[in-house]
This record gives sequence, C-alpha cells and structure tokens, in this order.
Amino acid sequence: MLASLFLIGASLTTPQMSVQAASQTVVEDSDDGMARAVNRMVGGIVSYARWPDGSADSARVMCVVGTPRLTNRMAPDVPGAGSVLVRRLSVAAVTSRGDCDVLFLGRMAIADRRQLIAWVRGRPILTITDDDAACIFGAMFCLSSRAASLSFSVNLDAIGRGPLRIDPRVLNIGRGDGGAS
Amino acid sequence: MTGKAPERIGARTTLQKLLSRFHFGITLFAVALSGLTILLAGVTALRGYADRNMELAAQLGAYGVEPALVFNDPQAAREGLEPLTRIPGIARLRVLDDRGQPLTQWASPMADPAPLLTRMFFPRPFAVTVERNGSAIGTIEVWGDSSTLIDYVRIGLLAGLGCLLITALGTIFLARRFEYELVKPLNEIATVAHDVRLHRRFDKRVQPLGIAELDRLGGDINALLDELQGWQGHMESERAMLAHRASHDTLTAMPNRDAFDEQLAMRIAAADARGSRFALLFIDADNFKAANDNFGHAAGDAVLVALSACIKETLREGDFAARIGGDEFIVIVDPIDVETAANDLANRIRACVAQPVELPGGETYRASVSVGAALYPDDGDDATALLTAADAAMYADKLTNRSRV
Repeated sequence: MLASLFLIGASLTTPQMSVQAASQTVVEDSDDGMARAVNRMVGGIVSYARWPDGSADSARVMCVVGTPRLTNRMAPDVPGAGSVLVRRLSVAAVTSRGDCDVLFLGRMAIADRRQLIAWVRGRPILTITDDDAACIFGAMFCLSSRAASLSFSVNLDAIGRGPLRIDPRVLNIGRGDGGAS
Repeated sequence: MTGKAPERIGARTTLQKLLSRFHFGITLFAVALSGLTILLAGVTALRGYADRNMELAAQLGAYGVEPALVFNDPQAAREGLEPLTRIPGIARLRVLDDRGQPLTQWASPMADPAPLLTRMFFPRPFAVTVERNGSAIGTIEVWGDSSTLIDYVRIGLLAGLGCLLITALGTIFLARRFEYELVKPLNEIATVAHDVRLHRRFDKRVQPLGIAELDRLGGDINALLDELQGWQGHMESERAMLAHRASHDTLTAMPNRDAFDEQLAMRIAAADARGSRFALLFIDADNFKAANDNFGHAAGDAVLVALSACIKETLREGDFAARIGGDEFIVIVDPIDVETAANDLANRIRACVAQPVELPGGETYRASVSVGAALYPDDGDDATALLTAADAAMYADKLTNRSRV
C-alpha cells in the first residue's frame, strides 16, 4: 500500500515533456479581477522557482520590460513568506544592471525580445511573458487570457537551458496547448 | 452390578462420549475466544493502517493539488487528485481553497459495501491543510470507505473458520487419543472384575497401568482378589475336609460305609464295561466284643487301628478298603489277575493280624479275623448279592475258625 502510494507520487512528479496542456485559472469578473489573477499567477510561478543561490522566501527582483498586455498593476502575490520587488526597466538597463531575478516581458519590439532572450540564456533568470500565447519565442512561462480565464503555458526547452529549477508540478500544470490532450 | 441398573438412568453415556463432549466444548470455547481476540486485534491494527492510509492519501493529495490551489485551477486540482482516485478504500475527496470554497471534488463510483462499518471506522473525513511557504492556501478532505475493511473481515472470518475447523479436528483427534489412554486401562480393570465375577477366575490380576490413579485402583483390586483367593482356598480345603469327614471313619481314617457303597457301584460299572472281574473280601474281627469287654474300649480302639493298619499295608495299588461297621472291614481287590489273588491277600491280612497288639494298659492282645471272599460277577451280579455272598463266606470262615478253636 505504502509502496504504491510512493509510486503514484513519483509518477506525479515526473514531468512529461512531450505532452503540453495549459492551466486554466478562473478570473473573477470585477475591475481588478484580471490584475489579481495575473499577480497571483506570477507570484505562484515565482514561488515554484528555485534560484541556485537563494532560499525560497528571499525577496526577488522582477524587472518589467515593455508594456504588459494583461494588467498594468504588476504586484506579484507570492503565497507564504517571500516577496517580489517590481521595477520597470528598459532593455539596456536590464542587461547593464544584471540584478533581475525575474524578467517580465510585455509587448516590445521583436529585436529587443530576441536580444533579451539571448542574454538570459545561461543566467539564473526566470522569464515570463504575456505577449506570446503559443509560447514559442523563448520565454519560460507564457500567460494568456481566454474568455473569463487566465492560463499559462510552459516552454520546457527554455527552462531546460537555464540553471533555474522549476517545481515539476508547475510544469505539469502548465503543459502547453499544442499537445495531444 | 450394571445389569440391574435402575430404569431411570436408561440414557447412560460412556466415559469416552463424556470426555469427548467436554473436550469439544472446551476446545470450541478456547478456539472461539482466541479467534475473536485475533479478529479484534486484527481489526484494531487494520483500523490503524486504514487511518494511516487515509492520512498518507491526504498528504499525497495535498502535495498534488498544491500548485492547483496556488493558481486557483480546478482542472489542475482534478488532475492532482487523480492518483488518489485509484487508491482503494477512498469514498470521497474534496479540495477547499483558502476561503473554504470547494475547488474540486470527487466521489467514488463504487457503492459503499457496508455503510455501518464506514460510519464506525471513518466517522469524519481526514483533513490536511495545504501549505505554501508556511501559509495555508487550502484544505484537502478524504473520506474513507469500508471496502478494504470488508475484505479483511471476510478473509479474517474465513481464515478463522478454517482455523476453527482444523483446530476442532486436531483436538478431536487428541481427545480420542487421550480417551483411549484413559478408557483402555479402565476397560482392563472392568474385564478382570467381570472375569472374576462370571468365571470365578480368582487367579486373574490387573496388569500394572500407566496412569497412577488407575494403577492404584488396579492394585487395590488385586489385593482384594488376593484376599478373595485366600478365602476361596480356605473354603475349598474346609469343604474337602468336611467331605473327607463325611466319607471316612474318624478312628481308622478309612472310608466309611457310604464311601464304600459309592465305590462298589463304580467298580461294578467299570468291570461291566471292561468285562473284567474283581473280588470282595469281607473281614470281621473274631471275639472283638469279648476283647472290648475284657480290656475296655480304649483297647478295642487300639485293636481296630492295628487291624486297619494291617489291611492298609496289604493293599495293592487300585485296591479299596473301608470300615463298614464296628469291627467289619471290606476290601475290594481290583483288578485280580489270578484266582488266588483274593486268597493270597486274605492270608497276608491274617498273618499281619496275628502279630500281638500292644494295648494301652500294657498288656498284649493277639487278634484274629474271619475273611470271606466273593467274586464279581461269579458270586453275585449286583452290590447286594455280592455283599451277601461275601458275608456268607465270612460266616463260613468264622464257623470254621470256631470249630478249629
């Protein structure tokens, strides 16, 4: 009985790279419903990421580049201890300062995005975007809004290239839409 | 003893049946008691395992639905619960968010096999708080059902029943052996007692027995039999003595008239059967009355004893002598091979009697006898005729002796 429990647990935590399905968060139908949903989702994603240097509950710096499409009131709601400081920076500032833990990519020029994605590669930086519903441009997490729900997809290749560790359960939830399911 | 048992104890049972009944009762009680104890202990242990199982399932569920709660995602919550739905013994699952609103729930499609058992074992759901970085973000509730318990109880009852059967059989076998060990020696004692009572086999004894109490009983019975045998031997010798006294003369220790009559009838029958002959000698002391009167009765007795001693001395094997009256003796000479055998014997008796007899008074007395012989069947073909013939011959001899004196 116990062994079977562990087996089931193990199968649950194993990410299945080949299949992708998106999460579906219910968005409350109010003025700041979308803002709350986005902040909750971003906070959740941040809470499931592990930076190689720090502990889970240390404050993280989130640099917002470009114009976020879903909400302008970025204040990620991290469950439990831990918080996120939000800064709005330009592409040049991000690459020169180099103290961002999270990079939120809003709407921006394709060249800038490509430059940032290339710069992030190999660095312990979590990338989230809300301007790439198909999640094909290289950000690790892609938020998208459909009807009255908010969902995110995961780009496993992008996560696999970086030194960040993401809880497999989140990967499981955020399996992208393009799969067989 | 047992043959005249009162009617009301008609339904009398054997020791073996009694023991068997007791054994079975005790065994049944013991097995039932231990079986019940084991079942209760098993159920208690199983309840502990079931509780632990529910708890583990709840923990697993909490782990699985944690991201779903973080992202407020019912679909993901359903997927997180999915592994739990495959665990047997879970009836219902529910995930509540941090405000207590249900995010998702699941109920087993299988009907609860024993709702009463479920109510007894899982009166409340197992609730585990889902935490993220130290703050509660929701709750998962797990309701158990009795399906796993039912299996255990069913298997337990079956196994218990099997054990009961095996134990009962084993105990019956052991009881049989025990009864055999006990009943066999008892039967042995009973057989000896029966033999003694029915066949007067006072020489029978109970063999040494393996059970101390029964061995003591056997020993007592043996002692009793020893006593009985002693009594019986005593009685037999007493009876033999009485029989001898009835058939013999006390003074000369010779057979008396009754014994002689019997003996004569036997001899006649034997001679008839064989076609052989035998002789009868009638011996009478001469002037015995005079000797009695002159010297006293004690002297007469001494003469008679001397006379009988002479007769006994001259007897051959197979001959028979008896004292049939005061001074009258009879000798059956059987078998006779030659005509002169009877006369030979008569002459030898005469010679013996002729020896002087020492009387109690110190005097000596010289006795003489008259002897008459008769042959069977020549002189008479029945007892009376033969005796009459012998008597007549004796008188003739006495007359001859008188005339000689």
